[in-house]
Amino acid sequence: MKYFVWHLVRRAFLNIKGNLYPNLSTVGIIAISMLVFSSFTLIAFNLGSFIKIWEEKIEVVAYLKRGTPIQEVETLLENTRLIEGIESVRYISPFDALGFLESKLGGHKDLLEGIQPGILPPSFEIELKKEYRNSTRIKEIISRLKRFPQFEEIQFGQEWVDTFSALVHLMNLTQWILGGLLLIAMIFIISNTLQLTISARRDEIEIMRIVGASPIFIHVPIYLEGLLQGLFGTGLAIFLLYLLQEIMMLHLPSSIQMWTVKIPIHFLPPEIILQILIGGMLLGLFGSFIASMRFLRYGD
Amino acid sequence: MRCYLTSLFFLKKNEPRDNFLKMIKMSHVYKVYPTQIEALSDVNLEISDGEFTYIYGASSSGRTTLIRILYGAEKPTRGEVIVNGMDITAKGFNKIHLLRRSMGIVFQDFKLLRDRTVSENISFALEVIAYQKKEIRKRVSEVLEKVGLHQRAKDPILALSAGEQQRVAIARALVNNPPLILADEPTENLDDQMADEVMRIFTDLNQKGTTIILATHNKELIQRYPYRVIYLLGGRVDLKTKGEQKEGE
Repeated sequence: MKYFVWHLVRRAFLNIKGNLYPNLSTVGIIAISMLVFSSFTLIAFNLGSFIKIWEEKIEVVAYLKRGTPIQEVETLLENTRLIEGIESVRYISPFDALGFLESKLGGHKDLLEGIQPGILPPSFEIELKKEYRNSTRIKEIISRLKRFPQFEEIQFGQEWVDTFSALVHLMNLTQWILGGLLLIAMIFIISNTLQLTISARRDEIEIMRIVGASPIFIHVPIYLEGLLQGLFGTGLAIFLLYLLQEIMMLHLPSSIQMWTVKIPIHFLPPEIILQILIGGMLLGLFGSFIASMRFLRYGD
Repeated sequence: MRCYLTSLFFLKKNEPRDNFLKMIKMSHVYKVYPTQIEALSDVNLEISDGEFTYIYGASSSGRTTLIRILYGAEKPTRGEVIVNGMDITAKGFNKIHLLRRSMGIVFQDFKLLRDRTVSENISFALEVIAYQKKEIRKRVSEVLEKVGLHQRAKDPILALSAGEQQRVAIARALVNNPPLILADEPTENLDDQMADEVMRIFTDLNQKGTTIILATHNKELIQRYPYRVIYLLGGRVDLKTKGEQKEGE
């Protein structure tokens, strides 16, 4: 059995070696297609991570109506803390708000001269539990906060979250539509190259049949060939993507480089790389399956 | 005897014991190609284990179709074909590779791998059915001795004459020690001397118990090596004119 399996693998490598140029060109085409696909995956992945970072920092600010009695504020503070998903609530008085503004303006704080704290509304700074820091669950909490009439306005950067979520969704959609088209093209290319390979080995395959080689012995090396083409092509694509990202990072303008300190750009994590590699191999396998179905009929 | 052993695996439960002694049995076999050309029509024949039989006929008589049916390259349109105990026309029969391992096939055009040596061509037949290297070496050496080419084992195929190439093809057919040899016009591209060498190998094999079925249109060959002849005419076994008879009867 071990000998038989070794023989199948050896035959697959011999087939590749014997038809090196068609195989290399297929690997190249797979690499280009997978590079496009994995580039989209990388962009979508980084946008997704950015949203996660942003969501982790998300905080809800609920502005109180001016003139809300302090006793009511205390009760409201207690009730707000009781809402599920809220980690902590901090009351920001108009004085605190003015102090915060002054600290933000730094050297220009004299701009606030003459402004009375009373014009700034008091607010609650609400920190959410980690698992509630996503757009769906925030909306649940917001709707519960809105039930308290003492709140005049509730802010949580919804527009940003929605816009970014839509962007990531669009990226994912593009990735799969474009990816789907590329994948079909890849199957077509792989099956055609393998047909060339099969055609070049027509005599050998004919003799294999004449002397009684089993269908497994004839077909499996062809499937392995497709599998290896997929693996090498996708591996090359991942490597090229890594190189491209490294080169791009080196040549980023300094203004954008500063941004990347706060929002780091990651390469694809190992589990996604593994998924892409397996995907590439399966495509290769499928392409070779089509090629063998077209060319190798049992009993010929 | 070898045929009986392989037959044990394939003979059906209620099959007549007589089939056991037959290497080939064809009953009411028809072959009509999609172009409506009728290559074989109601062919009935039996060939016993250890027989040397010619399938004789002119061009388009159906002899190649008959040979192709015997090794499973063509499916008959109708009829029953039993080869070496296997009913290859049975519904769902999917053991063509096992059928072919139980026979050696020799072609007019040799069907050798032109980019390989003599011994590589022969060992290929065993490699693809997963023989161990040691066993392959032993068998290749034995079979090359049998066909008188042991001195040329490492020569490339293209360095050999047509007769030698045909002997390599015969060696490849023999290397798995099959009980049956099918040969389709094996002497067609050879001069008389080379044809004689090939025929001597077949005769030797037959004397040692191998069933030989040789398709030819060469009357002279049949006269020089007289064995049983099955005449084919227009896709039918021609019983009216010459009949199925032993040459010289």
